[in-house]
Amino acid sequence: MVADGRKALAGVRVVELGPYVALPLTGRLLASLGAEVIKVETNKVLDEMAFIPAWSRGAGQPDYQRGKKRITLDVRTPEGRDLLLDLIRVSDVFMTNFRRNILDRWGVDFPTINDVRPDVVIMWQTGLGGNGPYYTYKSYGILVQHMSGVSLMSGDEGEPPVAINTSYSDYHTGIFQPVAVIGALLRRQRTGRGAIMESSIFRSGAVTAGPAILDYQTDGRLPTRRGNQDASAAPHGVYRCLGEDRYCAIAVFTDAEWDAFCDALGNPEWTQDTKFTTAMGRLDNQDLLDGQVGKWTAQFTAEQVMERLQAAGVAASIVSQGNDLFSSEHLKARGFYRETPYYLAERGIPATQWERGDGIAWNSPARLSESPMEFGAYSNIGEDNRYVFGEVLGLPDTEIQRLAEAGVIY
Amino acid sequence: MLQDDNLLPPYRVLDLTDEKGVFCAKLLADYGADVIRVELPSGDPSRSRGPFTGDIPDAESSAYFLYYNTNKRSITLDIETESGRLLLRRLAATADVLVESQPVGYLEGLGLGYESLRETNPRLVMASISPFGQSGPWRGYKSSDLIALAASGYMQITGEPDGPPVRQGNEQSHFPGSQHAAVAIMGALYYRDMLSGEGQYIDVSLQEALITYYTDAHPALAWMQLGENVTRVGTNSTLVVPLGAFPCQDGWISAGIITPREWDALAEWIYEVTGNEEVLNEQYRGGNQDRAPHIDILTAMFIDFSSRFTAEELFHEGQRRNLVFLPVTDVSDLLEDPQLEASHTWTEMEHPRAGRLKYPLGVFDIEGVTPSGIPAPLLGQHNRDIYCGELGLTDQELVELRASGVI
Repeated sequence: MVADGRKALAGVRVVELGPYVALPLTGRLLASLGAEVIKVETNKVLDEMAFIPAWSRGAGQPDYQRGKKRITLDVRTPEGRDLLLDLIRVSDVFMTNFRRNILDRWGVDFPTINDVRPDVVIMWQTGLGGNGPYYTYKSYGILVQHMSGVSLMSGDEGEPPVAINTSYSDYHTGIFQPVAVIGALLRRQRTGRGAIMESSIFRSGAVTAGPAILDYQTDGRLPTRRGNQDASAAPHGVYRCLGEDRYCAIAVFTDAEWDAFCDALGNPEWTQDTKFTTAMGRLDNQDLLDGQVGKWTAQFTAEQVMERLQAAGVAASIVSQGNDLFSSEHLKARGFYRETPYYLAERGIPATQWERGDGIAWNSPARLSESPMEFGAYSNIGEDNRYVFGEVLGLPDTEIQRLAEAGVIY
Repeated sequence: MLQDDNLLPPYRVLDLTDEKGVFCAKLLADYGADVIRVELPSGDPSRSRGPFTGDIPDAESSAYFLYYNTNKRSITLDIETESGRLLLRRLAATADVLVESQPVGYLEGLGLGYESLRETNPRLVMASISPFGQSGPWRGYKSSDLIALAASGYMQITGEPDGPPVRQGNEQSHFPGSQHAAVAIMGALYYRDMLSGEGQYIDVSLQEALITYYTDAHPALAWMQLGENVTRVGTNSTLVVPLGAFPCQDGWISAGIITPREWDALAEWIYEVTGNEEVLNEQYRGGNQDRAPHIDILTAMFIDFSSRFTAEELFHEGQRRNLVFLPVTDVSDLLEDPQLEASHTWTEMEHPRAGRLKYPLGVFDIEGVTPSGIPAPLLGQHNRDIYCGELGLTDQELVELRASGVI
């Protein structure tokens, strides 16, 4: 039986309440798998992500929000809160990233939700943790990489912490959560029970430090910060090539790879230097080796270096820039980036009046042969009000109109 | 029902991964799946990865192997031999999932590709995690953590503006492919169990998975719309001001001011502490676009303020003022963190060689669910259980397979 156009999560309805990166990303993945994800927002308080990227505010949203049914509903009003509970009553999953004190204030605490829908699966995404000493604390994913030990494992010894300038840990949480949600739905099928599941951005980042955490307990040692060098491979790093800000990354682990590397370079004399002929020698003389490799790469484009080394069986890659990714024949062949509309966010006017733009968004990195993850349509905020309030909840048009004028559906 | 102590039923998962996929199988194992790690007779290569607990290089003391293989069982099998292939086919016939990250085409070349395995088990979900995916001109290219970070462009935006691209530490590329694969596997299991009754094949590209991990930098979109490449700006943002890691009395503090209200609260606090009226200037108020042009003076004022406090003081007082200040920690701090403790992050496990250690186990706090707590298996620990107990081989056959180097 193939239901509903081969959607893996056909028949699953999810209510998503909350801004930023991690939670919306979870919703997007579940929507790609075929769940009906209803995103609850309000024109009154916009997600700060609606203003990213700064050069075209809102062009980034299709990556996080596509495939969802997007409605406007002010859950802080009594009628809005009741409508949210009505939606949860006919849904399988409720996901939020608001803190407990805020959910309590709005009257959408978990006991209330469980009264409305006893077998609901609740995915509660928190910053630092939903219980415990910091449960009221705010956090941002971009900073949690500092708190979860990662930035002090990057860069060189003695340097300031090195972080990637994005919402790093949010992605871990956002992509962990669908695993729990689907697991809980399968468990509900077996047992009839729903679930209350909490994630935290902090913990999601901290678990990635697993091996270092185990090592520290046995010998009190912290990970060595090696920059781009590696404990077991040399040459290992990025090397300047022709062009502005152009680099090729090269990683040589085994003796066989070293031989292939030397062949690819045409076996110049320096490669025969006894300092470099053994793996130990190469590791002991990494800076010297890097200097020689850099002199060679500087004569070519990054693409030439990559192609020549890969043809010889040596791991190498250009350090991709935006234009490399956008124009990549490989990613095109994979259908990774796709065209999408978006809407230019503007404070003070309803989203439905925002100007439309044309951009791109990524397709899912996982390709399923029988129930493909769909790229999905991209709705604007509030675009699906009529479908959700009219068809899903069965409200008459006049009532929707009244609630819109009262600022509840807004 | 025993299985309800965990999230997943004991789905049988065959784990033929290296570092690109090992975390995927671990995630499923920690939440209840019956994961069988299929190792070379000489041991999985990751068993020789340092650091080693107690600093003694040994197949059973690699911190890497110990962490990534909790709750799995281990068998040895050389699938490059005829009888090895046959055994893998028999195992696959009993499995719900096979997850692998071998070079593209390798398993197919051994007659162990998806099309062949589904003939004996149409319910099998098979996931392949590869550096560039199973299709496209780069599909055969070799990779590594560094190469993956470079190819995805993740490195392009990590590092100082006047320095080279920097590899984020902790082998970050080992997570995204695994996580996307785990999501897809769960989706495929749901589809099979609830709707179709059949398995399917999943192709995960590590390059693409890593691109999703820095979505908010929008590199391809920036090129499309501006004709510009996003590049390195250092650890601290140049668009959101202030945001990043800053010096304080005893090291570093991270802080991020994103909303207009947060700026007002921070400015007031800085003024209280430093008496510097400049910080209250109207031109700095509002959204980040209003502060970005003044990054130098604002950063200087911030550091003058932050360096008067310890990280702990800034963390708690900042949060009291509804501002996001977070400490910059190393792994020793994580082990003692009261919040991680309260979120039930740790499970103590006794491993026969590595001893008793605290593992961060599972990534969710689920009411009524405790992640499984079995330490990583010894090499081939479950050969007899699985080959004889479950596949029905005789002791004699096992001895012969051992002698011929298949197991």
